[in-house]
Amino acid sequence: MSVKRASRKLLPAALAALVALTTLTACGVDNAYTKNTVSALPAATYQAKADQPAWKSDKRKDNKLLWYVNADWWNKSWGKDMVTKQVKKDLNLDIEFVTGDDSKLNTYFAGGDLPDVVTVLDANSRVVKSANNWAYPLEDLAKKYDPYFTKVASKQTLDWYRLKDGKVYGYPSYSNTSQDYKSGAIHASTGFIIRKDVLDAIGPQDFTTREGFMAGMKAIKEHFPDLVPFGFNEFNGGNGSMDDALQNMLGVPTESAGHQYYDRRLDREYLDWLNTFRQVHASGGISDDSFADDNDAFKEKLSTGKYASILIKSLVNQSVPIQTWASKNPDKQYVAVDGIRSSKGLKPTLTETGLSGWTVSFISKQCRNPSKAIQAFTYLLSDYGQMLVNFGIEGDTYETRSDGTVRWTAKANDIRLNNSKSWQNDYRIGEFVLFGHDKYKALNPDSFADAVKQIQAFGQPYLTTQYDTENVDPDVGTLQARANSAISTKWATTLVSLMRSGSQQDFDQVLKDYRDFLGSNRIDEINVIRNQKIQDNRKRLGL
Amino acid sequence: MSAISAPAVASKRIRHSSPVFTAVNCTLLVLFTLLIVVPVWNIVISSFSSSGSLGEGVVFWPKQFSLDNYKSVLADSGMWNALFISVAKTGVGVIFHTLFCALFAYPMSKAYLKGRKLYSAMGITTMFFSGGMIPTFLLIKSLGLLNSFWVYIIPALFSYYDVIILMNFFRQVPDELVESAKLDGANEWRIFGSIVLPLSMPGLATIGLFHGVAQWNDFMTTKLYINNESLYPLQMRLYDIIARSQAASSNGGNIGQVVLDTTTRGVRLSTIIITILPILVLYPFVQRYFVSGSLAGAIKG
Repeated sequence: MSVKRASRKLLPAALAALVALTTLTACGVDNAYTKNTVSALPAATYQAKADQPAWKSDKRKDNKLLWYVNADWWNKSWGKDMVTKQVKKDLNLDIEFVTGDDSKLNTYFAGGDLPDVVTVLDANSRVVKSANNWAYPLEDLAKKYDPYFTKVASKQTLDWYRLKDGKVYGYPSYSNTSQDYKSGAIHASTGFIIRKDVLDAIGPQDFTTREGFMAGMKAIKEHFPDLVPFGFNEFNGGNGSMDDALQNMLGVPTESAGHQYYDRRLDREYLDWLNTFRQVHASGGISDDSFADDNDAFKEKLSTGKYASILIKSLVNQSVPIQTWASKNPDKQYVAVDGIRSSKGLKPTLTETGLSGWTVSFISKQCRNPSKAIQAFTYLLSDYGQMLVNFGIEGDTYETRSDGTVRWTAKANDIRLNNSKSWQNDYRIGEFVLFGHDKYKALNPDSFADAVKQIQAFGQPYLTTQYDTENVDPDVGTLQARANSAISTKWATTLVSLMRSGSQQDFDQVLKDYRDFLGSNRIDEINVIRNQKIQDNRKRLGL
Repeated sequence: MSAISAPAVASKRIRHSSPVFTAVNCTLLVLFTLLIVVPVWNIVISSFSSSGSLGEGVVFWPKQFSLDNYKSVLADSGMWNALFISVAKTGVGVIFHTLFCALFAYPMSKAYLKGRKLYSAMGITTMFFSGGMIPTFLLIKSLGLLNSFWVYIIPALFSYYDVIILMNFFRQVPDELVESAKLDGANEWRIFGSIVLPLSMPGLATIGLFHGVAQWNDFMTTKLYINNESLYPLQMRLYDIIARSQAASSNGGNIGQVVLDTTTRGVRLSTIIITILPILVLYPFVQRYFVSGSLAGAIKG
C-alpha cells in the first residue's frame, strides 16, 4: 500500500476518532445531589427525643433503603435470618443490599445516582476524604431526626473522622478507642506460633535471639524433614506478616523524636532479622512456595499442619484453619511462644485495628429516607443492636450471666457446633457487622475459636495503639501518592529479594537499590506530608 | 465401503509409514495430551476432595471423597434461575447478534453502497476506541437498560470484528448468482434471505460460536449494570458464592469450633467444573454442525 493510499484510508478514521473524543469530553455529569443540605430536609414526623432512640417513636411502615456495600462477599440477604428479621421488625425497614467493587462504586459516582447508604472499606480512599461533597453530616442529621445517635456513637471515633469543615460524614465499624484498648476487650492477633509436638521434640530452644532462632529452625529441619520449618502469612496484599507484623514483634518505633515519621523498614534491628530469615531461607527453613502462596493456599497448609512454626498476623481471619487442625490433632495444635524479639530489650508493640476501624458507612445526599437511615445507624450502634447482631435474641440464643458475660444457650450452642450451614444462614450471628465492635464480641468467650485463645492471650500484654501514624500516607491522586505507591511496589519486591538473597553482598546490594529508589521518588516530600498528618492526628486526639 | 475392507485399508496405510515416525509422533501426542489432561484431571479430583485433604499438594485420586463442595454450590437457591438466565442470554444474544451483524455486513459487502468508506472508517474507529467504563455506564443508564435483561443483548448487538468476518463470507458468494437472481426479479431482501444467508452458514456459525462463548463467560455486564439478583447469570452467581465462601472461612469469630465442610479453593474448583460442564456437553454437538457447515460452505462456495 502506498503512503498516499494509506493516508487516504486513515484520514476518515482519524477524523471519526477526533469526533468521538470531543463528544466524550463534552459529556459532563450533573452532580445535583451535592447541593442537598440537612436544613432543607423535611422535619421529623415523630417526636425526636434525646434520651430514647427514634426508632421507638417512629411508627411509619414500609421504609426502604438501598444500601451499597463495596465488598463482593457481603451477604445480601435481608429478613430471612434471625438477626436481620429482628432488625426489619424493629425498624419497619426493608433494606436492599447491593455489592460491588471500586469500579461499581465509581460508576455510581459518575452516574450521579447514589444509593441511600454507602459502605466503603478503605478509610484512606478519596471517596471518604471527599465525603462532604456527597454525604450528609451525621451529627446534623442526628440532631434533626435522632439525637440519641450521639449517645451511642463514640466521641473519639467521631473526632477521628471529622473533616476539615468540622463535620463527621461516615461512621466506621471496629473503631477501637484508647478506652477499648485499656479495657482488655481487644485481643492480640499477631504472634510467633509453633506446633506443640514440634516444640516437645526439639527440646529447649531460644527463638528470641537471631542465633537461637536459626538453631531452632535447624533442629526442626532435622526432626521434621517433611515440614516447612518457618512460615508467614500471604506475601501479597495487606496481611503479610514480614512487614509491619515483624516490626511490631521487634518493637520498632513508629515515630522518632519530636513525633516525626520514622521509616521502620530501614530500622537496623528489623533489617538484621531479615538477614537472619535470609539465612534460614538459604538453609531450607523457608519454602520458596511461601512467597507465592495466596491466602487460600496458606489457609489450606495451616489446616493441614504443614508449617512447624509461623509468624502469624490477623489471627481472627486464620482461626478457622487453626481450629480445623487443632480439632483433628489436639496434641499437635499451634501455640504461641516467645520468639523474634528485639536485642535491645524493646517490648513488642502489637497493634490491632485503630480508630479508623474497618468498614465506613455514609448516608448519601440522595438518600430517600434519611431519617430512617440515621435511625438504622443508631440502632446498630446501640447496646441492643450490638447484642442482637453478635449473639441473637436473649433467652433464645444467649443468656447474660451475673458478671455481665454472655453464654450461648444449649440449643444455640448445639447448632453452632454441629450445623455450620444453619448457623450461618438461619441465624447469621456475628456476621452482620457493618457497625460491629470488638468490645461486644469480647463479652462471650466462645466468640473465638478455642485453638486461638492461648495465642490471643499471649500477645495481650503487648497491645499498643498506633493512632499517630494511622492514615498518614499522601492523599490519593497527588504526585506524592503516586510516588509512594511506586515505593510500596518496590518495597514488596525488595522484601522478597532480601529474604531470598544468596549472600550478604546480594542482600546489601538489594537494600542499597531500595535506598536509591527512595531518593529518586520524592521521599522527602512524602515525609513532610506524613509529619504534617501525624501532627493533625495528634490534634484530633487532643494530644 | 464394506465392513471387511475397512481394516484392510487401514493396515495398508500403516505399513507405508515409518514405524519410528509413528512412535515419535505418538509419544509427542501422548505427552501433549497429558499436558492438557493432567491439570484438568487434578481440578476434577480436587473438587471431589474433602476440605481437610486439600493442601496435600497435587493429587490424582481423592484422599477423602466428598461431595461437600458441590453440595455447597448447588444448595444455592438461585442456581437454577441463574442457569436459565445464562442459557436465555446466550441463546437470544447469539440469534440477535448474528442477524444484526449480517444485516450490516451484507450492504457493506457491496461495492455500490454509497458512503461505504465512511461507514467502514467509523466501524474501524470503534475497534480501537471505546467510550470507557463510565461514559458507557451513563449511556446504558440513560437508555433505561439498568437492571434489565436487555442490557445483555442490546449493547452487544454490534461488533465490527464480526462484521468484517461476515463481509468476507458474503463477498465469496458469486456475483453471477446474485445477477441471475436479480434477473429473475428478486429484490435485495430476497437475495439476502434466500441466497446469501444460506450460502454463508459457516460464517454465521463462526460468529454465533464466538458470540455464544462471549455471552456465556461474560459477567462484567452483570457486575456493572445489574443489581437485581434474579437477573444474575451463572457466572455471576458462582462469583458470588466464591466471594461468600471466602468471607465464611475468614469469619473465625462466629464459627467457633465448627470445622467448615468446604474451603474456598474447593468451592472454586467445583465452580470451575460446573461452568465448563455445559460447554463440554454441548461442544461435540455444536462442533458437528460447525464442521459440516464449513464443509458445506467449501463445496458450494
